[in-house]
Amino acid sequence: MYDSKVIRRRRAALAVFVALSIVMLTAYFGESSGGVFHTLQRGAQAAFAPFESGASRALKPARDLFGWFGDTFDAKGENEELRAEVESLRKELADADVARADARELRELVGLTDDEGFPQDTEPVTARIIGRSPTVWYSSINIDKGSSDGIRESMPVIASGGLIGKVTSVTGGTAQVRLITDSSSNVSAQVMPAGASGIVKPIVGKPDDLLLDHIAADRRVTEGARVATSGFATSRFESLFQRGIPIGRVTKVDAEELDEFQRVHIEPYADIREVDVVQILTERGVSTQAGVPFQ
Amino acid sequence: MRATPSAFVRCALLGFVVVIVQVSGLGTGRVLGGYLDLTPLVVAAVAIYGGSIAGAAMGFGVGLLLDLLVGGTMGASSLVLTAVGYGVGRYREIRDPAHELMPIPVGAAATFAWVVSFAVVSFMLEIEASVSVAVVREMIATTLLGAIFALPIFWICRRVLRPVLLVDPLDLRRRRRGPREAGPIGLRGLEI
Repeated sequence: MYDSKVIRRRRAALAVFVALSIVMLTAYFGESSGGVFHTLQRGAQAAFAPFESGASRALKPARDLFGWFGDTFDAKGENEELRAEVESLRKELADADVARADARELRELVGLTDDEGFPQDTEPVTARIIGRSPTVWYSSINIDKGSSDGIRESMPVIASGGLIGKVTSVTGGTAQVRLITDSSSNVSAQVMPAGASGIVKPIVGKPDDLLLDHIAADRRVTEGARVATSGFATSRFESLFQRGIPIGRVTKVDAEELDEFQRVHIEPYADIREVDVVQILTERGVSTQAGVPFQ
Repeated sequence: MRATPSAFVRCALLGFVVVIVQVSGLGTGRVLGGYLDLTPLVVAAVAIYGGSIAGAAMGFGVGLLLDLLVGGTMGASSLVLTAVGYGVGRYREIRDPAHELMPIPVGAAATFAWVVSFAVVSFMLEIEASVSVAVVREMIATTLLGAIFALPIFWICRRVLRPVLLVDPLDLRRRRRGPREAGPIGLRGLEI
């Protein structure tokens, strides 16, 4: 049996740790991004970055092995989907070849030299992921590039041809990226080429399924249509993302008769769980291009 | 567990390594929709071998480091892992489990408590997005993976902590082993 002194000490220890946690929770919510705890987080990320970077490289074989088991389970079902997708993409490739030839001719006519679609005023900086949030509730990654590489807060981050998030905090040599699958993420987006605009939100627990919300019920959205950032700007608000960064493809449309808005499901281009290398679009500026980025 | 500098260093080393490995390596490896989460396993192992105070302290420390490194809400992981560590430690103090396979149910229970409690805390704090039922599948798969990996993780933790333990539950089991039934007649039934 324990004596009363041991019991008191045990209860006191629990009370102290719980109280400290609650104080931190309360203070964290109450402070701005320049507050003590946010600064502590940035400091810790900078201090532990070398360990994370080393561990990330050292553990890659183990991560790949672990992923291989998971992929094997999923591969059978995925095979059929991929076959159908290859067929669809072949048709689209043929269309794209024609469109590219047309675009080249038109560019020569008007003297344009820039690539179509993608924001023109950006300079991608490639970075390696050195840390990831282990839970589905907070989706963030740490990367091995920071302010010394030109990275600033709010810059968009892409991988595998699609938007994956934005930079939320930066230190000298590292940065933290909040992914579009994070529960607090909201991205203004547009369905191409239809032009219907909405807000892309995540579904917690399903990183391969995003929701494009607030699309007016009378706007026609078809499955397979591309979704890209809309980059809207008003006198009061401005989107963090330039216009034309691809996000994903429409997979399903939920059109409830009584609803004012329809909910569109999107499959992101980037497989966020498998990404190892990302690109940060530096030199942020609001793109003014009006062309339709993806046809 | 003796509250010595050696014990602190060993626990700090365990906590540091498990968080770095979790954040940098294992956080995204998926099997059957779940992922291997070592943090509740290590906290539970320290709690089983060191008791409720050591478990709560380890949970708080690991949670704090996790929140610092992944940029989550400060205090959320600490709160949940403190409760997990304390709960497992109290289980050990009350029930005194000594079976060799004890890490499996303890690891599974700690992992399940961690994923469910963290989900509840996240809901209460700031989750505004839709939540898929796939989250439940992920919780179950993560718990199963925790149960599978509990034995080696507990074994490693026991090896690291053994020099600073006051009582080793597995040594207790050996001491409780039944009296010998063989040997000279006069000595049967005596533990010699």
